[in-house]
Amino acid sequence: MVYAGGVDVGSTQTKAVIVDDQGTIVSRALIDTGADVLGAAESAFAQALEQGGLDKDDIAYVIGTGYGRYRVTFGDDQITEISCHGRGAVHMFPKTRTVIDMGGQDTKAIRVSPSGDIDDFSMNDKCAAGTGRFLGAASSALEIPLDNLGTVALSFTRPVRISTTCTVFAESEVLSWLGKGKKVEDILWGVHQSIAVRSFALLRRVGVEQEVTFTGGVARNAAMIKALEEKAGVQFNISEESHFMGALGASLFALERVAGEQKTQPSAETDR
Amino acid sequence: MTAVLDDWRLESLDESLYACRELIEDTTFPTVSKWREQGGKVAGHFQVYFPEEIAHAAGMLPVKIRGGPLDPVLADSHFGSYLCSILKTSLEFAMNGNLKLDLFVSHPICDAARNLAAIWGRNLDYPSQILYLPQNPNSSHSATYLSGEYGRLKRVVARVSGAEVTDENLRNSINVFNENRKLLRELYDIKRETPWLIDAVDAYCLVSIGGLIPREEHNDLLKRLLPQIRQRRQKQQDRIRVVFEGGFCEQPPLDLLRMLARTCYLVDDDLLVGLRWLTEDIPLEGDPLFNLAESYIDRSSYSPVQHDLRKPKEAMLLKRVEKAKADAVIVAAAKMCEPGLEEQVTYTHALDEHGIPYFVSEFEENMTSFDHLELLVETFLENLLFA
Amino acid sequence: MTTKISAEEIVGRGSREGAALFQDWFASLTNTAEEGGRGAYVFVMGSFNEILNAFDLPIVFPEINSLQTAVRKVAHEYLSEAEDYGYSPDICGYVKADVSVQFSRGKHPMGRIPKPAIAILTNACNTYIKWAEIWERIHQIPVVTIDVPGTRDGAELDKQDALDFANDRQYVVAQIKELIATCEEVTGTEFDIDKLRENMEAANTLSTSWKRIIDLNKNRPSVFNALTDGTVFLGVANGFRGTKEGADYFTRLVEEMEFKVAHGIGAVEDEQYRLAFVGVPCYPIFRRFNEMFLQRGGTFINSTYLWFASGGTNRGFEYELTDPINSLAEGVLLSVRSAMDSMFHQDRMLEEIADDYGVDGIVYHAIKSCRTVSTGLADARHSLSARRDIPSLFIESDMMDRRVVSEAQMKNRVDAFFEGLASRRQRADNA
Repeated sequence: MVYAGGVDVGSTQTKAVIVDDQGTIVSRALIDTGADVLGAAESAFAQALEQGGLDKDDIAYVIGTGYGRYRVTFGDDQITEISCHGRGAVHMFPKTRTVIDMGGQDTKAIRVSPSGDIDDFSMNDKCAAGTGRFLGAASSALEIPLDNLGTVALSFTRPVRISTTCTVFAESEVLSWLGKGKKVEDILWGVHQSIAVRSFALLRRVGVEQEVTFTGGVARNAAMIKALEEKAGVQFNISEESHFMGALGASLFALERVAGEQKTQPSAETDR
Repeated sequence: MTAVLDDWRLESLDESLYACRELIEDTTFPTVSKWREQGGKVAGHFQVYFPEEIAHAAGMLPVKIRGGPLDPVLADSHFGSYLCSILKTSLEFAMNGNLKLDLFVSHPICDAARNLAAIWGRNLDYPSQILYLPQNPNSSHSATYLSGEYGRLKRVVARVSGAEVTDENLRNSINVFNENRKLLRELYDIKRETPWLIDAVDAYCLVSIGGLIPREEHNDLLKRLLPQIRQRRQKQQDRIRVVFEGGFCEQPPLDLLRMLARTCYLVDDDLLVGLRWLTEDIPLEGDPLFNLAESYIDRSSYSPVQHDLRKPKEAMLLKRVEKAKADAVIVAAAKMCEPGLEEQVTYTHALDEHGIPYFVSEFEENMTSFDHLELLVETFLENLLFA
Repeated sequence: MTTKISAEEIVGRGSREGAALFQDWFASLTNTAEEGGRGAYVFVMGSFNEILNAFDLPIVFPEINSLQTAVRKVAHEYLSEAEDYGYSPDICGYVKADVSVQFSRGKHPMGRIPKPAIAILTNACNTYIKWAEIWERIHQIPVVTIDVPGTRDGAELDKQDALDFANDRQYVVAQIKELIATCEEVTGTEFDIDKLRENMEAANTLSTSWKRIIDLNKNRPSVFNALTDGTVFLGVANGFRGTKEGADYFTRLVEEMEFKVAHGIGAVEDEQYRLAFVGVPCYPIFRRFNEMFLQRGGTFINSTYLWFASGGTNRGFEYELTDPINSLAEGVLLSVRSAMDSMFHQDRMLEEIADDYGVDGIVYHAIKSCRTVSTGLADARHSLSARRDIPSLFIESDMMDRRVVSEAQMKNRVDAFFEGLASRRQRADNA
């Protein structure tokens, strides 16, 4: 049995995935990145190994991805998370033509060809508006855990429109709405809407082609899914593995490398 | 053609003003639709100045494209970052079908806007043209050049409208627009001399609506309303007299103007100055195209996007302040407006030298919250009142 | 007996000589500044060096001065001084760096920049106009704006009606005559039309050579890097236009490039991906930017920068020396118009380049400072993608302001782009 691994080192969280030679996920791990990037990569990988009951030597090839990919020094190569998210999404949903990836820090829109190659991509990694960062800011401003934001927001009745473009100032806007007596869920829905508007604008830059797959940690947020689907006017593919899509893509690339290496190895027979 | 404005003759002054405000805030441009429904053709022209007489003479409705307060959902992906909003919202109206044109003309007022022509041309079906107004009006040849350029524009307009444009047509149109500019000057006289008689937002809407309806109707409207405004019984209040400088292209939202109108008298401004660009009547005798061209060169206002060695912007602003007997200036600029932001530096240094108080601000056409700004403006004005 | 030139002598000669010319130029400007002399401030799109050199006016290109501060990693000092004075972070970085130079009596990393005696600009860039207004206020000097009416049609690049072209040309002729009169006033010397002819002849050599060199990159392998080498050549093309040195430099440069073509000496040893660059280079990380592509096997074979930043002289317009003023007007009109077209209609320019040069990918570099080039870039890209299946990368940064240049984020995008190019090529190979 051949195994391949992918480690996605993001600025907030590090994910590791191990797949078997069919590309099925055997094990996964998710930890906070923190300051020691290499340490986080190593820990996540170790945890995934443990979960899968495997040893380091069982893994034929490892690819690092994410912002910290060059710090995955135990890996065999690095590939951008753009390519990896595209690859992972197409693997999970073969009819994927557009991917929207929303992590804690940035948002990416990716268009893929039928063969899974990246045709175009657009990233928002300069401005927090339209990214998961705004959710983080709302979470601390309203003192609601990040994981509960979506559920709370979905119980909105009279949505509030967040007008400020800048996330930093939008935080004050959130608090000022609270001060004016607006309900938390209504404000939160407004926050989700605001992110959806900007993310959708990003999607439009690469062109929305069906099917659309939503990946990244924020894809687990039901309110975000609703807000984005409404804006896009289409239903998204969402996998349970959405948080691990980058690491999955990386491990699939790793698997390809293994197959490639085996192909270039002269077989015992032709050597004769 | 029947009138595009609903019958306001029977309405009171207040009702008429209300109707104007409604129209200005209506992003479906019903007056333009009404014109089209009757088979009329529309020439959309961007900021700042456009020789509307030429389009008018061909029987077209010249419409001033000036963006608006909406989310440019369709247009956004056609532009890069660090840009003013007016470009995107203007294209948005064309792309979402709210504003259907037969011709679009722009002039290179700034580096961002001059790209509109190509973007428009790549994405919409009707002609998109650039009018090259002289940025060297100090050349002795500039009027001759512009006259030729207007001749070229005339041919384009004639082709699009299917109507011939004779000198006779042009003179008639010049006459209509001369009258219009005269009426607008009267409106501004009222603003300057007796600002308590007309709310700044109403005055703004009265100007703005001209860019959306046939000028003849605009003239009728103004001729009817201006005397009524003059006869109003409104008391003068103890308010600071302010000049608003920075509204020559992207427009501040009406709510921003409302906020300012609550706190001071806006006695003069450069809001939609393109519709009031020529400061004197265009002569009717002689070659009308040449007269139109010469008027642009010699009988015109000023803005950060028009270069003329005879009209240094800060000198012109000081003149405006003096003529309006203003106490202070709001030196505004649309966000990301390069010429506006550059001129702010020149304006503020000149105002400092002359000891004229000013308030610097940036705005965006689709901003919706003004609490913060209102606080700053009120503080500024209070300080002046108590000084 | 013919002397054979060695590869050692000739390969890289243009870069060496270009650097030397630059040093001389700035040394001369520094001299002028120290002696209290003044220069003519001009811009890359329509510099009129041919006329100004006839008056022996030292030529100053503030755009080049500004980009040098970024290349030499000191731009942030200059930018913050201007911003302290009141200039917004959102306006063109070139202007701000220069404002700082003006306020510090010409202080510049390459020496000292003399004050202007006169400023000449065209309307090819609206920022030029505001920039010159700033000099007017600081120095109270004559500012001559030469209107060069551009392409009128937003959708097409059709040939203009003869009547209208004549109208435009006459306007430029009249303005050139007025410029000459102003120069006479400013310098106190009479205009010498023979000097103008001489300068125009030198400019002809330069322009035709410049066009030839750019054309030579159609070869495989390409012979110069359009981004790095190209910028050096461009600097000389602008600074030394209308001079004998400029003409000689370019004649020798053609010799070098033709030698390289004949001997199969490429700009890089292993040319894997031929790329076109669109926009203004990322000066704050000039070398590093190129390396990001070089490391992945990419080399730039052409660039719209070489087009518009040479004022369209890359089209090789040749002046008619028997009718200098009229021909100068026509040349300026056509060249500057072409420069403007290459900024607003990049899609059409790129189509030409893609067809003639064989391009594997296009890199669009939109910058905060330059709205002229960047505003329509995303749309031009989409328009071209609809017509041509050429992979492209879109990145945003600035050519002056380090604050909006993120190397890590850029590398991420560049890597993703090459991953795409590689898998595309592999698929094509397997097919």
